[in-house]
Amino acid sequence: MRRRRLLFGLAAAAGTPGHRVRAQFRTMVRGEVLRGQFTQERQIKGFERPLVSAGDFVLASGLGLIWRTERPFAIVTIITAAGLVQEVDGAETTRLAAVRLPFFARLYELLGGALSGDWEALETQFQVTRHGDARQWDLALMPQAGADKLSMPFSSVMLRGGQFLDEVRIVRLDGDSDRLAFSGQTLGTGGLSDAEAAALRRAGK
Amino acid sequence: MSRTLAVIWLVVVVILGANLVWRVHQGLSFRTDLMALLPRDEADPSLQRVNDRVAGSLSHRVAFLVGHRGRDHARGDAARLARALADSSLAEIDDVPSGRNRFAALGALYFPYRAGLLAEDDRERLLTGHPEALSIRALSQVFGIAGMADAGLLRRDPFMLLPVFFAALPLPSSRLGVEDGMLSTTTDADMTWILVSARLLGDPYALDVQDRLNAAFEAALRVVRTTDPEVEVLRAGAVFFAAAGAKTALADMSTLGTVSSVGTVLLILLVFRAMTPLLLSLLAIGVGMGAGLSVSLLLFGELHIMSMLLGLSLIGIAVDYSLYYCVEIFAPGERTPRQRLARVMPGITLGLVTTAIGYATFLLAPFPGLRQVAAFSVAGLVASFATVIFWLPLLDRRGPARHGRMLLAMMTVLWRFWRAPNLRHARGALLTTLAGVAIFGAWRIGAVDDVRRMQSLSPELVADQARMQQIAGLAIGTQFFVVRASDEEDALRSEESLLDRLHKLVLSGALGGYRAPASFVPSAQRQRQNRDLVRTRLETPLLASYLARIGLPALAQEPEADAGADGVLTLAMAANVQPLGTLLSELVVPQGVQDGGGVAHIVMLDDVRQSDAVRIAAEGIGGVDFVDPAADFSRLLGRYRRRTVGLIALSVVLMLPLLALRYRMLGAVRVMLPAVMTIVLVPLAKAVFDQPFTFFDAIALVLVLSIAVDYAVFCAEADAAYQPVALLGVAMAMTSTALSFGLLARSQVAAVHAVGSTMLIGVALAFLLASMAGRRRDGECA
Repeated sequence: MRRRRLLFGLAAAAGTPGHRVRAQFRTMVRGEVLRGQFTQERQIKGFERPLVSAGDFVLASGLGLIWRTERPFAIVTIITAAGLVQEVDGAETTRLAAVRLPFFARLYELLGGALSGDWEALETQFQVTRHGDARQWDLALMPQAGADKLSMPFSSVMLRGGQFLDEVRIVRLDGDSDRLAFSGQTLGTGGLSDAEAAALRRAGK
Repeated sequence: MSRTLAVIWLVVVVILGANLVWRVHQGLSFRTDLMALLPRDEADPSLQRVNDRVAGSLSHRVAFLVGHRGRDHARGDAARLARALADSSLAEIDDVPSGRNRFAALGALYFPYRAGLLAEDDRERLLTGHPEALSIRALSQVFGIAGMADAGLLRRDPFMLLPVFFAALPLPSSRLGVEDGMLSTTTDADMTWILVSARLLGDPYALDVQDRLNAAFEAALRVVRTTDPEVEVLRAGAVFFAAAGAKTALADMSTLGTVSSVGTVLLILLVFRAMTPLLLSLLAIGVGMGAGLSVSLLLFGELHIMSMLLGLSLIGIAVDYSLYYCVEIFAPGERTPRQRLARVMPGITLGLVTTAIGYATFLLAPFPGLRQVAAFSVAGLVASFATVIFWLPLLDRRGPARHGRMLLAMMTVLWRFWRAPNLRHARGALLTTLAGVAIFGAWRIGAVDDVRRMQSLSPELVADQARMQQIAGLAIGTQFFVVRASDEEDALRSEESLLDRLHKLVLSGALGGYRAPASFVPSAQRQRQNRDLVRTRLETPLLASYLARIGLPALAQEPEADAGADGVLTLAMAANVQPLGTLLSELVVPQGVQDGGGVAHIVMLDDVRQSDAVRIAAEGIGGVDFVDPAADFSRLLGRYRRRTVGLIALSVVLMLPLLALRYRMLGAVRVMLPAVMTIVLVPLAKAVFDQPFTFFDAIALVLVLSIAVDYAVFCAEADAAYQPVALLGVAMAMTSTALSFGLLARSQVAAVHAVGSTMLIGVALAFLLASMAGRRRDGECA
């Protein structure tokens, strides 16, 4: 996809020796790895209860996102510019090419842009309204008028964060919604395990 | 009498000339595809018509990929090139389906029939008893990130099988995505690539179409390059290959024409040291060439560039008759032009007849292009011959030559070599050497029929094509299956049997991919089977527990009877929906192209890596034929190579009684001996240098046989006093032929090279051996 570098990031005290710069959200740079836990609560109309799942994630800037759901059962979802791959018990169950389903390309850009702080990327797809400051902020994203409903099946996306992205709420066109809460995030470089790197390579094929 | 004939011949020449001038004025059209030169498969004309249609539609495809590090640059440059192509009105740029409609219409088409649509892998899992794989996948999609499921969808397609079927559809150039109206992709090196594909409106093998297309494209490319020097442009399409091939052939042709003409002129000037023989020879060549061209155009309306190339080599043979005539000035004693003609008359007449027999064998074999060569050559030779016998004696005022003693002495040496008793050992040594070459060659000789090795494909274009495949997954395939059946349903069923086998080949890596009508619309039978499979093997055992797990209340009966329980999707419905309409129009051959009202479908193949495995896949499925044009064509070349060798043997047999009329049987055998030795030795000698024996060598051998007989006849005609003169004529004929055909040997096109090298070695050997045919009873030379 065209903006592969825009993965997200944030940074604390980025590098000025001798000065402890106040932690603030910033664009992640290539090679950085963001890790954290998530809880996802999916509300689907007509379902008896919300679908709740939880696990951890690894975002490797420029490479892709590994989303490891642990509860209610183990699913690994790997999203790269090439598309989405899901694995259960190490076996691939789903592979969807981004070019075939433009929705995934958008999702990648959305999550990537949101987590990496690349507002510019988001602005090509959404109207972005921002509140707050670098320590505590929230963003409201509305699809651009005339956006393709197939590749942009959202009515609104809300992002909230501080040093890191803390919460995402996605409301779909049909009223279903997802709430993603993030916690325990850490940012580092060179932190991909061999297995993670291999998974990203497999998914990127 | 002779003047009357000369005037009649003048009238004929003027008429042929007028026709030629008129045709040139109208604009000549040249064909450039090598395939057009060669024979067709007549065994199954209906299959041939389907093949022609598919090959024709494939050959009209043009595609280019424009790459640049800057996305906007790539897009701008691609747009400019596309516009230039469209403005030239030579090609129609393919529409890029808009993102909005590309999949929405497809979804609307398939959704009501989803119960009968299964991706191949899913069907396989159900058939092999692994339904849990499908429910795990569905769970992972419902719970995982980016779940697309909503309650409405899950109620109608609880295991979300339709999205999987949809994702598995073999839509072409699948590595490309539509982005703002352009098909594009990004590679690792951060290059944005934009694909522009188009359909050529003219004939890709017509020289003027190629020229205009290249001119328009190159001009646009220059403009793009001046503003954007870093842009990369890759091209694919038969037209580019054909144009590159034609360019090589044209370059060959102009070099060949020039060098062989200049060489022949120099040869004549050096030997005769006078202008008259040169002018006479040029007249004979000119009339021959013009008549050949004119008659070919009358008969065929157009010319193939290869016939032109081979026809041009005729300069070397057409000049023979005038050379034989002119060389008579070296003969002892005073003679009038008419007496000189009378002396060479039997020789050149026999020569013409034997050469014509050689070319006539081209007519016996059904080679469309070689018929052109034969017509061109026979007309040209007859015209040269007529010019020599009707005009030359009238135009020639020369007396005997005073020089030439040296040349004749040299010829005497060769003559003596074959005669002198004291040189018996030298002769033995030569023959032993030749026998050695023959044995060594016979041990190494091998035939090659692979057409891919006969054409010289532009390496640059081959590299472009490989990169396009790597970047965009785009390949303009050349291999396919034709599926013929009495109706659509039968055709779809046969395809499904075939696709089940091809699927395994894809998994084993023998095949890159395939695309058939049944990939988009399964047969009614398969749709019903799929429905049963899902019901009995997936829903019955797993649906209730699956729904409980995700927390969706049990499904009511089928919520809406979208397609009814029995509805099936048909090809006719799919043909109205883009992009399926376009795809299917390439895969479903319209009624009427094939006989008897049946239907014909195409299974296109991408990236065939093991063509034998793919060919075998169709075995046992009725009405399915594998078409691999290159391989089929190579087989055809092999068949005709063997047939041509048979025709050569037949020519030998036909020439014998003809020669026996003049020389008696024994004499005829003696005249044929050097010629037969030559045609046997040439391929063996080439084999010594690892050169394979091809169809094109066989064709050249036909000519070598005619020429070698010609040389031998001249030597046989000569009595003792004239032997050196005759041999001088042969030497000059050999040199001029070697000059023209020898240059063909330098051609980049393997087929032309084969003809050239065979001719070169052939005429040299024929000359060396020709004096063996000299009359034995005049043993004065010894």
